[in-house]
Amino acid sequence: MLKLAEQCLERARTTADKLGKPDVNSQSPEIPNSSPAVKTCSASISASMMSQISVSHQYGHRRACSDEVQKLSTFPTPEVFQMLRAAEIQGYKKELTPLEEASIQNQKLQAAYEVRLARLNPRQAAQKTSLTLSLQRQMMENLVIAKAREETLQRKAEERRLRLQEESNRRFSKNKQMTPAEEEQKALYTAVLEYEQDYEWPKVYTEKIKSSPTDQVLVSSYVCQILSTSEHPIAKLIIHLQCQIYNRLYPVISKDTTQETLTSNLFRHSLPLDTDPLSALNTSQIRSSKSLHCISGPPRPSIQHSRSIGEGLESWENPRCTQQSKQEMENSFEDLESLLSPTSLTMPAALQRLTVAQHLHVVVKEIHNARDRLLSSTMLSLNLPSSPQVKEACLECLEDSLFPPLWPALLALYRQVLFSREETLLQVMDLYSTSAPSVVGVPKKLYPEDIKEPYKAAVEDLQHLPHHRTPQRKLECIVKTLRVICECTEEYCPNPGTAAIGADDLLPILAFVVLKSHMCHLLSECSALEEFIHEGYLIGEEGYCLTSLQSALAYLETLPVPPSPPHV
Amino acid sequence: MAAGGGGGAGGSSSSKTYSFKVVLLGEGCVGKTSLVLRYCENKFNDKHITTLQASFLTKKLNIGGKRVNLAIWDTAGQERFHALGPIYYRDSNGAILVYDITDEDSFQKVKNWVKELRKMLGNEICLCIVGNKVDLEKERHVSVQEAEAYAESVGAKHYHTSAKQNKGIEELFLDLCKRMIETAQVDERAKGNGPSQSGGARRGVQIVDDEPQAQSAGGCCSG
Repeated sequence: MLKLAEQCLERARTTADKLGKPDVNSQSPEIPNSSPAVKTCSASISASMMSQISVSHQYGHRRACSDEVQKLSTFPTPEVFQMLRAAEIQGYKKELTPLEEASIQNQKLQAAYEVRLARLNPRQAAQKTSLTLSLQRQMMENLVIAKAREETLQRKAEERRLRLQEESNRRFSKNKQMTPAEEEQKALYTAVLEYEQDYEWPKVYTEKIKSSPTDQVLVSSYVCQILSTSEHPIAKLIIHLQCQIYNRLYPVISKDTTQETLTSNLFRHSLPLDTDPLSALNTSQIRSSKSLHCISGPPRPSIQHSRSIGEGLESWENPRCTQQSKQEMENSFEDLESLLSPTSLTMPAALQRLTVAQHLHVVVKEIHNARDRLLSSTMLSLNLPSSPQVKEACLECLEDSLFPPLWPALLALYRQVLFSREETLLQVMDLYSTSAPSVVGVPKKLYPEDIKEPYKAAVEDLQHLPHHRTPQRKLECIVKTLRVICECTEEYCPNPGTAAIGADDLLPILAFVVLKSHMCHLLSECSALEEFIHEGYLIGEEGYCLTSLQSALAYLETLPVPPSPPHV
Repeated sequence: MAAGGGGGAGGSSSSKTYSFKVVLLGEGCVGKTSLVLRYCENKFNDKHITTLQASFLTKKLNIGGKRVNLAIWDTAGQERFHALGPIYYRDSNGAILVYDITDEDSFQKVKNWVKELRKMLGNEICLCIVGNKVDLEKERHVSVQEAEAYAESVGAKHYHTSAKQNKGIEELFLDLCKRMIETAQVDERAKGNGPSQSGGARRGVQIVDDEPQAQSAGGCCSG
């Protein structure tokens, strides 16, 4: 009997520990006055703890904390990233299972027992024994009852799961062999069904959508609601995919920030968030070596006719190495395959051998896949009507959720790939920053002398671009910039209503606006946008504006450095 | 990849809507801007002028029951921007190459562009060579014979227009659209009736969302 009681106590203690832990974790990032290093350390520790608890992803503790901290200057580690993502849409308290409830109760009992025991006179041994026994009895009872309750609940849950499983089996033909993708879709479908059993609001939406299947706004608000509910299976899937992609991005972008001092110089110029005092000290030194490098570079070949970034940019960057890198690409094909499996996180040798451009290629592909997967799974598991309008509304919501946390890291990778081009552009921007619009070919009639800063409104609009966080918003920003340019020309034109400028005028003005914006990372932003722009927008106004911006950038890169003396 | 895939038939419902991209090429003063402005403002008035003025224009047509959405991309004709052409004309279904009949030099430029387009896009793209400013017939420097012979030799059609007098423009675009539809249909047949996926998906998909273009301010074309 005593032994049993001991076991009970033991059990109560372990459960208490288990329950106590998450509380400790949630407090740790808020330790007052702790240095950032300590904070991130504790954060990454708690993150790894959490990931061990969570079922979906199990990442170990990769490096010692001291290593970790040094690399944290710009981007969070995948572990922290995951935790941040999870925390962002958290705010939901988990219900306790009967067993957990019982152990909490038992803890209280035990505490009470210990208090009483302390109050007892050492001589009242008989009373002590009876107290101990009654405690043991009560704890036992609690546990037995809890266990029975839990079993019933589990049985019910299991029954329900089977029922839902059958329901999804009916939807996904049971006989034929299922691909992993289909398996995944089915699992998600079942999870969504299960979720919908527990909550009322999805049913309300589903009914409404059924009665008006063409209502895009309704679909949007439904999907947005889902994505802001952390417990919904689709919201969980998005976080899972984001973490997977971020894991791929992190090793490359973090390597860069520690090794390349040159990069930080470039970054300092264009990104407001980076304020590294060390790189500022070296600026002049770097400048001179940079300009040498640029002038001796080979003439730029004409623009490649290619949409696939991986090969396109490479051959643009350096025509000589294309052949070689292609071969490398083929050689490392198997490595790539192994990379694509989501489990490998420890930086394999294969990963290190890849060039940055190849990395980008892999990541881009993965993002495309993730987006397609998300869309089709969402459409299917929510039973949305499959009209193109609904699909588009759904995709827009998903992208609004998928891209923002990833974009900074993705951009950093693009910037590494386009490093030398951005460097050239930055130099041009520095040298031509005070030039008149005529330098880039804007005709005199389109910039009246009496206007102090022509096209300032357009420059300001363009400068908002980095602050938008999804491809769609960024594109809208570019379109707005070009429209404002057109409005400006109308304003500047001596006889209003006759301007109607064509590309002959628009492109030079845009080049001027880009020059004034002084943002060389527009090159990377545009490359990323080109990759993720919706196909439907490609030949529309959005596509035209993006193409124009890319042209303006490409033109600026070709300007002579140093500027040739003005003639004309 | 853009050289493959035919014109865009984004047929979601029973009736098809073709979406075509047409690039406009030509030297600075040949009048290509007035040409498109004339075309787009003529029939349906300023409704089709976008807020990007003459740089990017859209037009909806109905040709023999087939709906066509035209997106007309103007390009900068100055020499300094010549290298940028390819990013503009990739994925185009048609190209309109404009020269000034009074300017021999502008015709030479057209020849350069034709070469480049064929190199980049192959034979999929429908080419139109347009001699503009026929109202200045007296000052003609490019002979009709030479121009037409050249066009034929490169598989292009030749047209004479006057943006000033609004001559020949409607015919030019109508003809171009018909040819692009034909090319798209040949392409569809070649692909078989299978689900039209990936392959040509990049090209000419239906623009579902064209409201921003429809509700334009369009104050620019009143003059």
